[in-house]
Amino acid sequence: MTSPAATRNSNAKRWLMAKVPALRRSPSLRAALVLSVIALLIVPENSAQPLSSPTDSQVEAAYLYKSGAFVTWPNPAPDDQFAICVLGRDPFEHTLDATIAGEAIGGKKLIATRISSPQEASQCRILFISSSEESRLKPVLVALNKIPVLTVSDIPDFADRGGMIQFVLDNGRVRFQVNLASAEQSGLVLSSQLLKVASAVKRGGGRD
Amino acid sequence: MLNNYSISTKLTLMNIVVTAVALIVASLGFLAYDQANARAELVTSLSTQAQIIASNSISALDFNDPQSAHTTLAALAASKNVEGAGLLTPDGRLFAEYWRSPDVRVNVLPSLHPNQPETDLFFPSHLTVIRNIDFGGRRLGAIYIHSDLGSISERRNHFLRILGVVLVACMIAALLVSALFRRAVADPIAELANTARTVSREKNYSLRAKPIAARDEFATLITAFNEMLSRIQERDAALRHARNELEQRVQERTKQLVAANRDLESFSYSVSHDLRGPLEIVNGMSYIIMQQYGRELTPGVKDCLDRIDDASKRMAQLIDDMLNLARVTKSEMHRERVDLSAIVRHIAEELKQREPKREVEFVIADGAVVQGDAHLLRVAMDNLIGNAWKYSSNKSPSRIEFGVRPSKGDTVYFVQDNGAGFDPRSAQRLFQPFQRLHPISEFPGTGVGLATVQRIMQKHGGLIWAEGAVGVGATFSFTVPDDSA
Repeated sequence: MTSPAATRNSNAKRWLMAKVPALRRSPSLRAALVLSVIALLIVPENSAQPLSSPTDSQVEAAYLYKSGAFVTWPNPAPDDQFAICVLGRDPFEHTLDATIAGEAIGGKKLIATRISSPQEASQCRILFISSSEESRLKPVLVALNKIPVLTVSDIPDFADRGGMIQFVLDNGRVRFQVNLASAEQSGLVLSSQLLKVASAVKRGGGRD
Repeated sequence: MLNNYSISTKLTLMNIVVTAVALIVASLGFLAYDQANARAELVTSLSTQAQIIASNSISALDFNDPQSAHTTLAALAASKNVEGAGLLTPDGRLFAEYWRSPDVRVNVLPSLHPNQPETDLFFPSHLTVIRNIDFGGRRLGAIYIHSDLGSISERRNHFLRILGVVLVACMIAALLVSALFRRAVADPIAELANTARTVSREKNYSLRAKPIAARDEFATLITAFNEMLSRIQERDAALRHARNELEQRVQERTKQLVAANRDLESFSYSVSHDLRGPLEIVNGMSYIIMQQYGRELTPGVKDCLDRIDDASKRMAQLIDDMLNLARVTKSEMHRERVDLSAIVRHIAEELKQREPKREVEFVIADGAVVQGDAHLLRVAMDNLIGNAWKYSSNKSPSRIEFGVRPSKGDTVYFVQDNGAGFDPRSAQRLFQPFQRLHPISEFPGTGVGLATVQRIMQKHGGLIWAEGAVGVGATFSFTVPDDSA
């Protein structure tokens, strides 16, 4: 409460109370105005920069690593790294590397790895399956069956076909569907927080 | 303003007021403490709710799901005093908000800084808490909860209601307790005051204030008061005793004096009477010598005999006067109606016949009638008018007035002349026997007359006094009360 901003707040409040008589009559009007002024005073530093809306792939890259915070794996992470792997043709290119640069989950540094076969996924925590793998999705998922890795993809009906998290576009906004049964089969526990924001949660239709 | 109330009422009022003031002061202190506590509790409660909402909103913020965030915020509907809440993104945008109703909506511009400090903003009727939302070392945004202070004012009103009830109860209790104390404090004072009032009204010093069992200042006061009454009573008795003794002594002395006086008077009477015998012989013998041997005597012897004759006549007059005086004292009073005006007129006629050559103007008031002894009053008026005649002989014409004037409810009679008068400083000596203010050669007389008059007036229970000045005249005034014992 002794930070300069707080002092500035109370000074502003006092100044307003003294200057505008109407504020003394209506508490709610006062609260509104005072909050507005406070809000104006505390202008965010980056609000001056032009806000370019992120591309879908940027959002997907962010979601990819953010979802890691809401998942529990049955085995400890190999080495001291948290690997996010991409199988197939990488749609993110540099976006993924830029997004996760300097970030960490559970104290483990995030790294991005490109793999070419499902067998390599044992070193990964999260695996993004590129749409280039759509034609051989079934054998890939079977191969991943015994590996505790969070499978994510934007292949249509990915969740219904045994994937765990599927990115979908909902009114131009990136959202995701969750197949809880698939995650459970691999021993992964998804946080209810994650399920809460999912556009759909499927409990059946696992890998067969 | 309390001056007219009894001590009992004052004590009761004092107890009630002291109780009320103490209770109110203590309660206000407690209320302030309680209100501060309530504010702190409200901040803690809102802070806790903010933390819970925040941790439930992490994924919504992370995965940009305002709908889910709103659902989470809407859980605050269960919190009675929360009017609204909102989530802000780190870049200051409003992410999601919830208001209980559109009426209570406050337009919070979502421009909070990512490093906005966590704050509690108190407004007259509202409180806004702002808490940051961090997850995995990242700042996801901030949450604010806007609450009214209804719980605090409700708590205060509840407290004040209880205070009101307790206050009334305490005042009633104080009233009852006062009744107990009144017996110990007010009643002894009232009792003492009553006794004091009765004593002072009835002058009855045998009364006593009722002693009390306590050993406090009241007991001392009552004991001292009773002791004072005892002292007064003792002093009263002593005073009465002394007065009785004194009266008795005065009576004894008076009796002795009266007896002594009577002895003296009878002595002087017998002396005067016995003096007459030898004087008759001297007088008679000198008369015989003049008659039988007058022709043989030389002029010198004759002159001697004349002088013997003069002296013996004067002595006879003196003895007569003394006998008169003694008789006045001894004689019995016979009260009857006496017309002083008639007596004076009679005396005036006699005097005019005796000395027809003198020019004297008599002024005699009519109707001066008194109750008294006719003989004695005749003697008194003889003396007074005779004196006036005698001492005004050197004035021509002389003027002698007998008059009446009222004075302080009494009737005063006076005899006034324009004669030789006297020195006022000697006025008292006039009434003493054998005291004369003028030489015999100028005005003859024995000096017994006025003493006789005074004695007569005294016998009538009246007074006599003289006023005058040398060469101007004299006034003798006297009173004769109507019914002296």
